[in-house]
Amino acid sequence: MANIDLDTMLDKVRNTQWALADIDWDKPGAERITAEQWPKLKAFMSDLMWIEHVGARGFAAMARKAESDTLRELYTWFHAEEQRHANAEMALMRRWGMLEGDELPEPNINLRLTIEWLDRYSDDMPLEVLGSVIPMLEIALDGALLKFLLEEVDDPLCHEVFEKINADEARHLGVDFHVMELLGRGKLHQLAIKAIGTVGNPKLILGVLAYAPLLNRMRDNIVAMGLKEERLYEAMNKYERIGGRTKEGRRNPWFQIISQHGKMVVNRNHPYHKPVDALVSLSNYIPAKALGPVPTWVEKLTWRPTA
Amino acid sequence: MSNTDTPIHQVLIVGAGFSGLGTALRLQQNGVDDVVILERAADIGGTWRDNTYPGAACDIPSNLYSFSFAQNPRWTRSYAGSDEIRDYIHWLAEEYDLRRLVRFNRSVTGLSYDNASGVWTATTEEGDTVRARSAVMAQGPLSNPSFPNIPGLERFQGKTIHSADWDHDYDFEGKAVGVIGTGASGVQIVPELAKQAKKLRVFQRTPCWILPRLDFRKPDWQKAVFRKLPAAQSAVRNGLFLAHESIATGIIWDTPVNGALETLAKAHLRHQVKDKWLRRQLTPDFKLGCKRVLMSSDFYPALQKDNTELITWPIASISENGVRTGEGIEHQFDCLVFATGFSVPNSGTPFPVYGLNGRELGQEWRRGAQAYKSINVSGYPNLFMIFGPNSGPGHNSALVYIESQIEYIVKGVTTLRSLGIKALDVKDDVQATHNRRLQKRLAKTNWNSGCKSWYLTEDGYNATMYPGFASQYARQMKHLELRDYRLLSGSGAPQ
Repeated sequence: MANIDLDTMLDKVRNTQWALADIDWDKPGAERITAEQWPKLKAFMSDLMWIEHVGARGFAAMARKAESDTLRELYTWFHAEEQRHANAEMALMRRWGMLEGDELPEPNINLRLTIEWLDRYSDDMPLEVLGSVIPMLEIALDGALLKFLLEEVDDPLCHEVFEKINADEARHLGVDFHVMELLGRGKLHQLAIKAIGTVGNPKLILGVLAYAPLLNRMRDNIVAMGLKEERLYEAMNKYERIGGRTKEGRRNPWFQIISQHGKMVVNRNHPYHKPVDALVSLSNYIPAKALGPVPTWVEKLTWRPTA
Repeated sequence: MSNTDTPIHQVLIVGAGFSGLGTALRLQQNGVDDVVILERAADIGGTWRDNTYPGAACDIPSNLYSFSFAQNPRWTRSYAGSDEIRDYIHWLAEEYDLRRLVRFNRSVTGLSYDNASGVWTATTEEGDTVRARSAVMAQGPLSNPSFPNIPGLERFQGKTIHSADWDHDYDFEGKAVGVIGTGASGVQIVPELAKQAKKLRVFQRTPCWILPRLDFRKPDWQKAVFRKLPAAQSAVRNGLFLAHESIATGIIWDTPVNGALETLAKAHLRHQVKDKWLRRQLTPDFKLGCKRVLMSSDFYPALQKDNTELITWPIASISENGVRTGEGIEHQFDCLVFATGFSVPNSGTPFPVYGLNGRELGQEWRRGAQAYKSINVSGYPNLFMIFGPNSGPGHNSALVYIESQIEYIVKGVTTLRSLGIKALDVKDDVQATHNRRLQKRLAKTNWNSGCKSWYLTEDGYNATMYPGFASQYARQMKHLELRDYRLLSGSGAPQ
């Protein structure tokens, strides 16, 4: 089992905090973004910061479910750190002239639906679900998106910022997989019954209806920007490899469900994509006004280092 | 003056707050005049002398927040502010001529018991030595301001103020102010600062359960009635006492009343806060009663003022200019207010206390304090404590508890005199049995239901609260059972 001492990890997290004010956002290098890159990068960064923000809200919900004070505190920090990543990514966008004033990047409709679902139902989800989904998002982020970004972007400040973000994400993943294994402890039939009970939860079904099209749309967006699809799939396979390396990890029914889902996502020929891609197309017809204003937790995002 | 030249008083008391003054008053009324009070500050009043921050007030109705033997018909509000409580303490001291007993600016550095003479000696930072047959530790559990353990605390270049050491000369008008802490003092300070500061940010680590506070100005006719008919005030006091006793069933234990109080607190929150996310951030995730339950009707509205914002991100550090939180933002301020409460000594003692044969109380208490009926400790004859281990109230007036402890001390001191003995020392096994029972009962309370609070030590040991009704506590203090004590004669041998 991935043996992580959560208390030591908490100390590490506390001792490695950084702030936007530590970074010189005006230092030279922004000019290295080419005119060709600019529009694609803007779309990419926008998706990226929203994924971070959505992940942040996921950690906020997980903090409520944590069984120990240490884990609760770790998730509270991770909530803040994911928000910091979103803030820092917005600060980079601002540096590259992609944001005006206090505007937020526009979330696509699938992100918007996911935000709505998180706002309404994430606090009601059991830790098993969020604790198994969030690592998948993080590993995709860490293993594919960030690496791609650093290969494409020449601005040294971008590298400096993502070095910090990557260090945080590595700690998140360490804890994520540790918890996934903890969630695989106990009698198998009990774990299975509990999972079957949760699968039928209408709130979860709505969550799947928001999450699955989001993944497909992000995949399409990212591929359009030049990321090789295989990179994303390699990252998702990594989830299966790390999550399934121990008996406890493999016994976690939610790991199995999400791994199987990952296999469907990476197989372009799988029939799974037909209804999901249809949902993506359908979601384009949802008027943004139908969702009402964004929840106020979204308004806490800022690119300003000081307040 | 050498030690042997120092006069031996009947009683020495550490602290001139409610507890110390009340003890002196009742001792005097029972014929014990030779009392010395050592007070580290230049004035009386204890916690109410120090807590003068804007909005400081009591969470207990004023009629119940006074001694039954010295009631105050002049309270102007249902919940008295700190200035009125301070006035009441000053009135007590004048009315019963207590100031003459107090030696001000004397900070006690140690208490030690001499086996042979049966005398307690207090030493002070100022070089005094005071000796007495009995000693009363009435320094109060909430007397030493506590600062949070945040990296970089000392780096902040702006003004810092602790709630228990307020700077009344500082003008908050037009200033950017950060308040750290949303406990009992935080919820009282924030509404006041929100009226003055240009920008107010309130840093919350854990939300507390908050019940509405029905504060109102008392009509003049009521004051007149109470002045002319003290029995009427006593009747109101008794009614309030019983009302608070009934709430104990919901605060101390997990009962349907607990659920009802949680529902009331949530309804209060829903009524005052419309934003879903803010409401979520203000909703506690522990059982009501596990930490101190707060009373406020103006904290939630204050947080929603245009100039005010609640910040729930964890604090990473304090910089020269402000507070850095986990989401990577530096919140810059002119002034930081620490509403972070007090260091509560639930293990150890505020100064070294040496008992029989040089045993040291802090050592014995390092894993958690314990005493007999919270007032005596075996091996420390004639040493009495007010708000000693496990005497904390969670639902009723602290003064009710103090009063029963004072009466017990009076019994102890007068018993020494009437029996002509040197000392009373509670038996070790009696104390152990008492604590076994207490801890067994505490295990079933909300305080021990899993949250972190200042009631518990790091190991989760509860040395702070009394697991029962105030009337139960008062009943156990009503009688001083001599069979629970070793009676030390003049020669020091047990009788």
